[in-house]
This record gives sequence, C-alpha cells and structure tokens, in this order.
Amino acid sequence: MIDTCINIVEVFRTVHGSVSQCDKTNSYILEFGDITNSFRATDFIDFTKRVNSIDLVKMILSSSSVTDVAVLMPPYAERCFVLTLTDTLNLKELLSGAKFNLHLNSIICECLRPHLYSI
Amino acid sequence: MKDLLRLRTSLSEEIELLLNEQIKAEAYSSAVYLAMSSYCNRNGFDHSAGYLEKQSNEERGHMLKIFKYVNDLGGRAISPEVTNIPQEFESFKTVFELSLQQEIKVTGQLNRIADQCIRLKDYTTFEFIQWFLKEQIEEEYVARRILELFDLIGEEGTGRWQIDKQIPKVSYGESTDEE
Ligand SMILES: [Fe+2]
Ligand SMILES: [Fe+2]
Repeated sequence: MIDTCINIVEVFRTVHGSVSQCDKTNSYILEFGDITNSFRATDFIDFTKRVNSIDLVKMILSSSSVTDVAVLMPPYAERCFVLTLTDTLNLKELLSGAKFNLHLNSIICECLRPHLYSI
Repeated sequence: MKDLLRLRTSLSEEIELLLNEQIKAEAYSSAVYLAMSSYCNRNGFDHSAGYLEKQSNEERGHMLKIFKYVNDLGGRAISPEVTNIPQEFESFKTVFELSLQQEIKVTGQLNRIADQCIRLKDYTTFEFIQWFLKEQIEEEYVARRILELFDLIGEEGTGRWQIDKQIPKVSYGESTDEE
C-alpha cells in the first residue's frame, strides 16, 4: 500500500534512510535500514522525541551488551528498532532533518493559508 | 504538501513542552502540600492540616485544567512522574515559608509561559494562562498573610495553637475584612 500511494512526498533523505509524508493517509513513512514504518503525525513526533532522548553517553560508556543498543517499539508497529550507537546517530540525523523540513512546511503553509481556500 | 503537524494540534512543540512541565509543577505542588498536611496532622496542627489538604486538592485541580487543555488542543498531555517530595519539615513555620517559596516559583514559571506565548504568537494559550496568573495573586497573598500571623501572634505560649486556628480563615478578596 505504501509503495503505490501517489500522494507521497519525500520530506528528507540521508544515505541511511528517508522520511516521507502521505497526504492521503495523513501519515509519515520512515524508512531506515531494512524497516519501513508508517506513523500517525502524533506518534511520529513522539517517536522522534524518544529517539532524541536516547542517552548516547551512556551507550558509549557502557560495557554491558544490554545498554549497547537501544530498543524502540513504535506504536502499532510489527517490528521494533534495535539501534546501535551509529544507528542512533544516523536516525537522529534523519529525524532532525525531517523535523526541520516539516516545520518549514508549517511556516510556508501558515503564510499561504490566507491566500488559499483549502490547504 | 499538507501541514500534518498543524492538523494534529495548534500547540507548538515548545508550548506543549512548557505546559507539560507546568502539569508536573502543579502535581509536585499538590504532593508537597499533602506531605505538609500530614506533618501538621501528626504535630497537632489540625486546622492547618485541613487547610493544606484543601490546597493540595486545588493544585491537583490546576494540574487537571492544564492537562485537559493540552489534550483538547490535540496535544499529548503527560501524566507526570513526581518524585523527591519532602516528608519532614523543620518546624511549623518552615512549612509556610516553603509554601510561599513554592508559590513564587510557580508564578515565575507561569510568567515564562506567558512570555513564550507572546514570542510564539500563541494567543490562545496566552489567554488560557491568564486564569493561572490571576490565581497566583491570591495564592501568594494568602501564603504571605499566613506567614505574617507568625509575627503578629508570636509562637510563644499558646501562639502556635492560635496561629493554627487562624490559618484556614486567611483569604483573599472581600472576605478578608470579615474577621
Ligand atoms: Fe497551582
Ligand atoms: Fe498554588
């Protein structure tokens, strides 16, 4: 379903993955590594916050294999994200780039709204 | 491209975060007042215990008011984790010194929220927060008046017993003149 949707706009891409928006289902699609996951807007924001709150210093300093990786289970997902230190950095980069563009989009929409009947 | 963020909520991320911090602050106040109530209760200050319990409920009411506002606007209100509640207090007077300090701190936080609302042009939340700012005038007034009782009546002899009796009667507005 995700691949065939024609209303998909790419929000941000890095070599490690991408974030797209589907205007038809009002959702965001995150592709990272071999996982593709679709999020409702509110869950996407929450997921971004959770990724950003991963304690990198703790991961670097840790010698146990338990805290070597961060495990995140997005809402309504079938698979969880198991992130190593590099994965976490890459995902943070991807999500903050996406967040920047989404906020930019909000600002543009806000400016255009008075001139449009529907947006 | 649709603005999904705006469709979700009219609250900006910063304001949502600040409001969630305020939810936590009100919950903290509520818990501290309850601990104070317990202290007063076990030290024989029954009237103050009752008064502080009422205060605790009021703070919880404040918390719920913000909680509901955040959710109503499409945001995500977070049920706060409240820790480090002091259970012991140096003296009867300290309880009320701390309560004034706590109220002053809350006023500061609310002012900061109002400030951010203006900076981010969020006039809806600015309007919402006005109620709390007005409420703080009363809260600080009452807390100050109560502390003054300690000087007016004095703690010697039956002083504390008398202060305890007067505390629930302190109020802001018309009723202040009655006593
Ligand atoms: Fe309050
Ligand atoms: Fe208060």
